[in-house]
Amino acid sequence: MFSRCRFALILLLPALTAPGAETLSYNSHIRPILANNCFACHGTDAAHRKGKLRLDEPESATAERDGVRALVPGNLAASELWQRIISPHDDEVMPPPESNKPPLSAEQRALLKRWIEEGGTYQKHWAFEAIARPTPPPAAGGAGAHPIDRFVGAKLAAQRLNLSPEAPRETLVRRLTLDLTGLPPSPDEVDAFLADQSTGAYERLVDRLLASPRYGEQFARGWLDAVRYADTHGLHLDNVRTIWPYRDWVVAAFNRNLPFDQFTIEQLAGDLLPNPRVDQLVATGYNRNILSTSEGGAIEAEAEMRNTGDRVDTTAAVWLGLTSTCASCHDHKFDPITTKDFYAFGAFFKGLADRCWDGNVRVSGPVAVIAKDPAMQRRVDEVYAIAPALEAALSARADVLVEGGLAPLKTGKQAVTYEVIWAEDSDLPTRAAFAGASNAGGQWQEGPEVPVKGGKRALRLAEKGEHVFPFTLGDVQLVVGTGVEAFVHVYLDPVNPPRAVSLELVSEAKTHRLVWGDAQAFGPEAAKTARFGGKLPKQGGYVRLEVTACESGVPEGKQYTGLRIAQSDGAAWWDRAGALITSASGSDDPLLSKDAWVRQMQSKARDNPLMPLRHDMNFLLGLSGTQQTADEKQRVVRYHRDFIYAPYRAALEPEAHAARREMAEQMHYEATLPVSPIVRELPEPRPAHIMVRGAYDKPGERVFPATPAFLPPLQPAGEKPTRLDLARWLVRPEHPLTARVTVNRFWAQLIGAGLVRTPNDFGAQGEPPTHPELLDWLAREFMTSGWDVKKLVRQIVTSRTYRQNATVSPALLELDPSNRWLARASRLRLDAEVLRDQTLALGGLLRPEIGGPPVRPYQPVNIWEPVAFGGSNTKTYVQDHGDALYRRSLYTFWKRTAPAPALATFDAPSRENFCVVRGRSNTPLQALALMNDVQQFEAARGFAERLLLRASPEPERLDFAFRAVTARPPTKREHQLLADALTTHRRHYAAHPEDAQRVVTNGESKPNGTLPAGDFAAWTMVANLLFNLDETVNRN
Amino acid sequence: MNPCHDYLNNLTRRQFFSGAGLAMGGVALNLLSPRVRAAAVRAQALESRVHPPLAGFPHFAPKAKRIIYLHMNGGPSQLDTFDYKPKLQDYFDRELPESIRQGQRITTMTSGQARFPVAPSIFKFAQHGKNGAWVSELLPWTAKVVDELAIVRSVHTNAINHDPACTFLMTGNEVPGKASFGSWISYGLGSENNDLPAFVVLTPKFSPKVAAQALFTRMWSSGFLPTKFSGVALRAQGDPVLYLDNPAGVDASTRRAMLDSLAQFNQLAHAKHGDPETLTRIAQYEMAFRMQTSVPDLTDFSNESAATLDLYGPAVKEPGSFAASCLLARRLAERNVRVVQILHRGWDQHGTLPEHLKIQCNDTDRGCYALIADLKQRGLLDDTLVIWAGEFGRTVYSQGTLTRTNYGRDHHPRCFTVWMAGGGVKGGMVYGETDDFSYNIARDPVSLFDLNATMLHCLGIDHRRFSYKFQGLDARLSGVEPANVLQDILA
Repeated sequence: MFSRCRFALILLLPALTAPGAETLSYNSHIRPILANNCFACHGTDAAHRKGKLRLDEPESATAERDGVRALVPGNLAASELWQRIISPHDDEVMPPPESNKPPLSAEQRALLKRWIEEGGTYQKHWAFEAIARPTPPPAAGGAGAHPIDRFVGAKLAAQRLNLSPEAPRETLVRRLTLDLTGLPPSPDEVDAFLADQSTGAYERLVDRLLASPRYGEQFARGWLDAVRYADTHGLHLDNVRTIWPYRDWVVAAFNRNLPFDQFTIEQLAGDLLPNPRVDQLVATGYNRNILSTSEGGAIEAEAEMRNTGDRVDTTAAVWLGLTSTCASCHDHKFDPITTKDFYAFGAFFKGLADRCWDGNVRVSGPVAVIAKDPAMQRRVDEVYAIAPALEAALSARADVLVEGGLAPLKTGKQAVTYEVIWAEDSDLPTRAAFAGASNAGGQWQEGPEVPVKGGKRALRLAEKGEHVFPFTLGDVQLVVGTGVEAFVHVYLDPVNPPRAVSLELVSEAKTHRLVWGDAQAFGPEAAKTARFGGKLPKQGGYVRLEVTACESGVPEGKQYTGLRIAQSDGAAWWDRAGALITSASGSDDPLLSKDAWVRQMQSKARDNPLMPLRHDMNFLLGLSGTQQTADEKQRVVRYHRDFIYAPYRAALEPEAHAARREMAEQMHYEATLPVSPIVRELPEPRPAHIMVRGAYDKPGERVFPATPAFLPPLQPAGEKPTRLDLARWLVRPEHPLTARVTVNRFWAQLIGAGLVRTPNDFGAQGEPPTHPELLDWLAREFMTSGWDVKKLVRQIVTSRTYRQNATVSPALLELDPSNRWLARASRLRLDAEVLRDQTLALGGLLRPEIGGPPVRPYQPVNIWEPVAFGGSNTKTYVQDHGDALYRRSLYTFWKRTAPAPALATFDAPSRENFCVVRGRSNTPLQALALMNDVQQFEAARGFAERLLLRASPEPERLDFAFRAVTARPPTKREHQLLADALTTHRRHYAAHPEDAQRVVTNGESKPNGTLPAGDFAAWTMVANLLFNLDETVNRN
Repeated sequence: MNPCHDYLNNLTRRQFFSGAGLAMGGVALNLLSPRVRAAAVRAQALESRVHPPLAGFPHFAPKAKRIIYLHMNGGPSQLDTFDYKPKLQDYFDRELPESIRQGQRITTMTSGQARFPVAPSIFKFAQHGKNGAWVSELLPWTAKVVDELAIVRSVHTNAINHDPACTFLMTGNEVPGKASFGSWISYGLGSENNDLPAFVVLTPKFSPKVAAQALFTRMWSSGFLPTKFSGVALRAQGDPVLYLDNPAGVDASTRRAMLDSLAQFNQLAHAKHGDPETLTRIAQYEMAFRMQTSVPDLTDFSNESAATLDLYGPAVKEPGSFAASCLLARRLAERNVRVVQILHRGWDQHGTLPEHLKIQCNDTDRGCYALIADLKQRGLLDDTLVIWAGEFGRTVYSQGTLTRTNYGRDHHPRCFTVWMAGGGVKGGMVYGETDDFSYNIARDPVSLFDLNATMLHCLGIDHRRFSYKFQGLDARLSGVEPANVLQDILA
């Protein structure tokens, strides 16, 4: 949804002044008319061109066809273009009636007439011309030395206007703090700024705010809108997607002032940099922010095409300011983007290794696993690097054994009993073991002095020893079915035998020991529940000990995870632990049946926030049978055979052990470290084709990665152009678009509207810049500074243009209602997140933590439930509690098909599509939200509490309250209004003490119990009033 | 366009004034130059409505002033409801002829099937009404009002899966980001009620026994249009409108007192800054306050007569049921709310169709009937357009195992049935025809763009002249290619 994403007011005003007053310009005056009325049939789109005539190119426009020429420069009568426009005949007039275009207006005709008469000269579209190197004009229009003001002032002077006076310092400090950090200044910060009368005070304030970590959070928001970051997949099930490490990367990138060219390169192609760091890989999550699906009936070619199209559209809009979507079906009608250009641009993304399906799982590969420190990262990377070879070796060994006659167990629906050896030469590696769960005593040893029951090694236990043989891998859930009998072999030292030994199954149920030998040996407590297995077994040789689930106290249906052995004193060797399992049905036992295992894993994945398998297998099991490729199906089969299938377990040692160890370690990392989707390049990209008329099943001509011909050449580093070449091309100094589009977006964020008022469209149908020289100057400065974003921001906010007053006189409003000439600052309604964060900050509730998984604060009931798919894991909104309720809004969980209403109500986009500028609507629903949302009201109560705990007389307290919210002292009248409001509410709550009690207990934070409820409630209402002031919800 | 006109637009069209807003407007006017003031006064006199139509709208005298749209989410089977195919009984379990299927794409849920056995409907059909329209036994109540309906059996769509198909149905485009038709209509025609939103969405309960496809807020979102044109979901649980209720301990008089203070502060702010948005904000707070009264009044059925409640059946007493939503829709129509949309879920019968479709029809049939009958008895049907549709139809061949008593049907975009009734539509007619397998359209195909064009026509809008500039294009609800108004079904 671009919804809520407005591209500024579309007020097509080529100029405020009458065109007669200035030189006629093709770009400013003529192209908009031709583009809107003529180019659809006489423009770049070859397939739909009528009469082979192009009016966007002078060569074609002036060429002779059948004795006539559309354009004869300087000769109105001979110009067929003109004759057709003024023709009274329906079959001749242009634009033709069937185009549904109204006839050209008198003003438009006058412009065209003058243009033809003056020679009909063309200009290249301004945005595709090289960025100029303009010099700031001399100061005028109230401007000082600041270059930005000199450009703005020159335009103002031409209108006989001036910059407005500088805004009051209270206004400035609030404006700047909100703009740069998204939070209001504290009263102390305001005071400090007001007190600093020395020169450079404002600049120092700017520097302090730019250095605040809040700056990165504030600036990340706009970028996350643009690249449509969210916490769900967006289509169909709209399940959770875990890609918040990318969001945190963006915050950090702004905070460390990563140059914008590098910011660009790392996001588009960080994976292709030499030896990329993990953060550079996380940055490539940019490419993974697409809408995705795993809907059962969806068609692969269609999904694939949509994903690529989404990547092209977003990249084109965000960096190039171009509307590329049009060219997915036909040549762009207004801009020189051909269909071939579109698909050739898409070809850069055809090598991405991620599958087109999301598998409805949290992360699908490729991923980055993000360690806590570089040393750990080295280990993590190493494990992921060596695992494939170990798994391949295991598979190869299994192949050999199977070919050599290792036969599977014949099973079906009937009951089956089979033996599985869980420990022969070592313990099965488990995720828990890597998490640091201690496995008590014991040591696997080998050598001539070690007696073994099987394999090469046995476990040595001495003195009071205890050891658990884990019975699981890959988190298969073992449940006591018809029967389980665990066994182990023990060799008691004949010289120093233990007093007793014991066995018990490890389970979620409460278990007890089965003891051989001295029943009291494990202490009186254990003796109470223990069962007695018999006297100490024979010494000096291996003896098999057994314990059933029943003897351990584990009833049917309960899960078990291993066998615990214990010995009291003495010494013993232990070896070959396993279980005799009886399943009611072999084909429903995950250890025997791949399908049963798949079913168990899938249901586990649904219930468990942790993935039960390493991400790649987890993803494969999330795919439907028709979505899995043959190779993927094979991988699932092999995984089960090599890692899970019980009858092969013993035979596959020791290769299995090494592979399982790495697997368990990886699963441990994935359970405990952030994992984020990234991109990797396939060895051979998928072929790219022009899709005829945008149909997924109509591939046409094959295309290869290339950029549109009307822009500077690509200059690839190697033979084949790559995504890295594309990224570097975007930030080449001679590129006419990226720098302009980028500075325009930051300008719009800080000033309220772009110099180009259609930030998503720098093409022929967009608006030309109001201040073309300023735009180019900013773009040049930006590149010259090394794409230094903080420097650019600093440049803008230190200008008088930014610092001027927002007050507007009726005369000025009449002359320039949408503030195109910048004779004043724009008053802007705060963004959704800023409104919420401001309130939390004032209420003393805001939590300062940066980053991490998204949180689920208050949300009205029934936002997700009525819309969500039954099987979705975002069907039911489970609200968090405690600190999570008060995190910055940047961290609020973003469900694409039902965004948080506290944000959506205030024009936050759904993040289903790129969005480069939000709208600023003004609706009754917003009034209701600010008055009644528990988040808002609780913060009002928090604010009241802060006020009441200040030891100051009431009038001062009222003034302080007003000043804390607006940064300025109230006028006398405002003070009186506030005092009156307090009196009214105080009177009411004195008469309604139960209501007062209810007012102060809104929300989950604990109210201060020492404050008298009536007064507390009245102040809460005053706070609620202050939070709703027009001045509070605006940046003034 | 001249700047003064823009400014007036800002004052009048972009922002809606209420009664209170007008008063504030008076204050504001004193600050303006005489020229602007005169124009503004004129504009205000013309537009006492909170939310007026676009200039020049409607394009011609409308038959319908409002629309109630009943969306059956998931894709109801046309074969078991309205598209009667008696010859199929002889085809039971026989392969769908290749001459019919013509190798057309099918979803990957059935593309792997070895066979495509024809599954005739197990439900009985009978003729109803003066024109003898065939209706299945699943819809006995709808059958009673068949003389009011124009049943269009030849609608087709482009998309074959739910998400894109719903997005296409609701916004005229499969790709998210466009405006929903409810938003388009409220943008074009504005609102005639100053106390309620122009576009209201209801999402009734549905049977937990059936598999329910998701809804998406984009189905009623304003897309590229300003957010104020988004549908407002009236909810059966919690506040009927988000954040409608005051916090605990705050009663209406306290809220009023707070709003009185707020208005005074905001007037001062306007006097200081001269920002027209401030005036809008004052008006919006007043509208919010009025909604706090008007919405509970709207959802309170206690003044409905026993006879009326009886029309809707016993389910009307369950909050959030489809029947209750239909009654609410009528109450909204009475209050001149421009667009009401009811989105009922659970119509995706890939398997166990006979059992589950029956549940779905039981849930909705009586409500549909009652809505038509109730609107008619109040004279509201004349100027209210009612539309019943899903996002696509279902296949004639069975998905999964076919038996005499059980079958499933996959998605089928090539033909499905929609009915329209009320303002501007000829009742008692059947339009369009499918082939003997209800697989391809045999006569009078109707695209969703045609349907949108017809809907707009009933509302007095020429779809060709209703566009919004978005990403350099004139976006239309009726698409880029020519769309046709279905003249044959118009009254």
